[in-house]
Amino acid sequence: MNKKRWKDIPLARKVMLAVGSIMTMMLAINVILYGQVNKTIKRMDTVYSSNVNLTELSDSLQRVQEDLYAYLSVKSSDSLESYYRSKQNYVNLLDKLSSQISSNPSRLLEKNIKSMSETYASITEEAVTAKRSRNVEKYKELYDQSRKLYGYINFYINELNSQQFRNNSSSYQTLREMLEYLEISSLVLMVLMMGLGAMMLFGITKGMIEPLTNLAETANLVGKGNFNVKMPRTDALDEVGIVTRAFNTMVESLEEYIIRTKESMEKEQQMMEKELLMKNHLKEAQLKYLQSQINPHFLFNSLNAGAQLAMMEDAEKTCIFVEKMADFFRYNVKKGMEDASLEEELTAVDNYIYILNVRFAGDIHFTKAVDESLMDCRIPSMILQPIVENAVNHGIRNIDWEGKILLEITGAENQILIRIKDNGKGMSQERIREVLSGNSGEAEEQSDSTGVGMNNVISRLELYYDQKNLVEINSQGVNMGTEIILRLPRTGGKK
Amino acid sequence: MKKSENKGIGLLLLGIFIVGFFLFFTNNFYKSVWKKSGLEKAEEIRNYDRQYEMIVGSGKSEFWQAVYESARKTAEEHDAYVEFHASDMETGYDEIDYMEISIASGVDGIILEYNGEDALKNEIDKAEAAGIPVITIMNDAPDSRRQSFVGVNDYQMGQAYGEQIVRLLDENTKRILILLDSEKGDLEKNQLYSQISNAVLSQNNTEGIEIRAENLAPENKFDIEEAIRMIFQSPEGPPQILVCMDEMTTECAYQAMIDYNMVGEVKIIGYYISETIRSAVEKGLISVTCTLDAEGMGKDCVDALWELKQEGRANSYYNAELEFLGKEDLRKARKAVSAETAEEEE
Repeated sequence: MNKKRWKDIPLARKVMLAVGSIMTMMLAINVILYGQVNKTIKRMDTVYSSNVNLTELSDSLQRVQEDLYAYLSVKSSDSLESYYRSKQNYVNLLDKLSSQISSNPSRLLEKNIKSMSETYASITEEAVTAKRSRNVEKYKELYDQSRKLYGYINFYINELNSQQFRNNSSSYQTLREMLEYLEISSLVLMVLMMGLGAMMLFGITKGMIEPLTNLAETANLVGKGNFNVKMPRTDALDEVGIVTRAFNTMVESLEEYIIRTKESMEKEQQMMEKELLMKNHLKEAQLKYLQSQINPHFLFNSLNAGAQLAMMEDAEKTCIFVEKMADFFRYNVKKGMEDASLEEELTAVDNYIYILNVRFAGDIHFTKAVDESLMDCRIPSMILQPIVENAVNHGIRNIDWEGKILLEITGAENQILIRIKDNGKGMSQERIREVLSGNSGEAEEQSDSTGVGMNNVISRLELYYDQKNLVEINSQGVNMGTEIILRLPRTGGKK
Repeated sequence: MKKSENKGIGLLLLGIFIVGFFLFFTNNFYKSVWKKSGLEKAEEIRNYDRQYEMIVGSGKSEFWQAVYESARKTAEEHDAYVEFHASDMETGYDEIDYMEISIASGVDGIILEYNGEDALKNEIDKAEAAGIPVITIMNDAPDSRRQSFVGVNDYQMGQAYGEQIVRLLDENTKRILILLDSEKGDLEKNQLYSQISNAVLSQNNTEGIEIRAENLAPENKFDIEEAIRMIFQSPEGPPQILVCMDEMTTECAYQAMIDYNMVGEVKIIGYYISETIRSAVEKGLISVTCTLDAEGMGKDCVDALWELKQEGRANSYYNAELEFLGKEDLRKARKAVSAETAEEEE
């Protein structure tokens, strides 16, 4: 659109246009009114100047007559000269009079004055000539004639004067009325213009202010959290239009932003829930995985069969041995999935020591110091046995002195403190850190272990209690033995 | 938004229209007032080639106004303007003064109501000497150098008046008074008077009727009125028939008749037909009034001047139509006029 609409004009220019147009109109009206007043006043001037001319004419005529008389009575060359001068002056003045035979009485009077004056001038001239030639009779008669004519002319001049004055005074009256009228009309026009201007300005400012007021109200509503309100659409290119569009855009984007925030919050919530679920799943999976590493079913069934066979052959020791092995593996299978009481765990440890002592001909000196009141407390299964196995395999195996293992279980208010101490090879601090962080890589070496390593134990403990630093490993150095302390939260059992 | 904008533009246009209208109105009004104030310029002014003067005794009489109006109109056709002067105007100038002024002004012709003064005859001769033709109207100056006369001659007039008087005669008629126009010379006075008395006395049963003529010689305009009142107040009483020879005398006599409660006792033969006289005749208070064809007279004067200019000569006598109007005549005329206007309206 090439054409600039009113609403596309910037506010400042709008105001300028409005005020400017009003001022221009005012100016135009003033110019017209002043023109009329000026014309009227000029006219009034001419009304009076015409009278002045007639007075001058009449004075001049009087001088001619006086000079004529002076010459005729004295006959001095001075008076003759003066007569010629005044006559010339009079004739000059006559030129200004109309010589038209007109239906206008003033013009006709002028014409009559002019013709009579010409006759008068010739008569005076004749009288002067007669005086010069001393024709007494003639100049006397001519003088009488001239006096008569002088009277007529004067009368006509007065007549003309009064006629003009009559005309003029009536003109003056109308002119005065006109001036009064002009006064009133200019006043009315001004008031009208003022009213119109005020209305225009009011309209224009209202047109500018109204959208702003609306905008402010709408902004207030938006401020109170109502995003559904919006300014009516506008395609105006002025500041108000720009602000309105910007405001609308702002409200839109605010709304969008809030919706997005809400959405993302919801998503986060969902994600957190999912994450938790996933963690659980992972834990479960890990648990299952870890437990699946221990797969003693077949072995356990076979051992049962072996025990029965030993019983039939009356090999009592073998039978007990195999039974203990079977118990050990049954426990393993039974408790693989769940937690166990501390008592059951201790039984498993006893069975394991019995088996080892059979294997290594009673080399292992195992002592327990157990707080019997804690026997019913629940802990994850398959925890104590692997630690004891670890103490046997890495601690006291292959040492030159008598290997000893101490298992001590004490209870605190909310805690079960399990301490497994050996007097074996001990561990370097580096190794302790590796084991605790789960990077021990023990799986490869543990070819004859029961399959559950320290790594597994620590992981399971942490998963079970959802807590870290449950395990502490102390060693004074090489051949100084190792102490493993489990600090487990107390669950189940009597307190 | 669109609506309000349209409204705003509408308002603006309306405002401009109002202001414009007001301005237009003001300007128009101003122009009309301007024209009015410039009356002498705005009036239809016409310039003429020739200037005629008309000098009469009684400027206020309707008769002379009518004559002047007709003369002016006729002159206009010949591109001439007629100026009107009367000795009874406020100027204080008489016929002689106006003659001199006209001569000094070098006019192209003079129409003069001659008042019988010898000095005026000299002025006529002076004008003729200066090449200005003079036409006498109403009253002639036969032994002057005037070019033409427009009017009724006294013989004719006396005859006509005599007839009217005879009609009004009855057994009560004892005295007849003829109020002659003051300015007429003795000859004419006698002519008119003798014609009237001849006409009356030639009838039967007129012995003992006194016919008298009185010359009203006004020093000023109130004299006529005073003279007429004197007649009504005279010990022998007013005459039974009173013959007036001009408009002013007729109106004065009529007024005096009413004032002295003499209606019916005094019969007035009037002259001319002004509004007052017309209504008096219609009511029967004035028996009959004599009218002259004012229009024709005015026209004849100007035509005579025109002929003189064109052909160097003109008739020396133009007869004016003389007519006596009574009650019935006026009623008929009125009917005819109203019928005419009614026809026109249809």
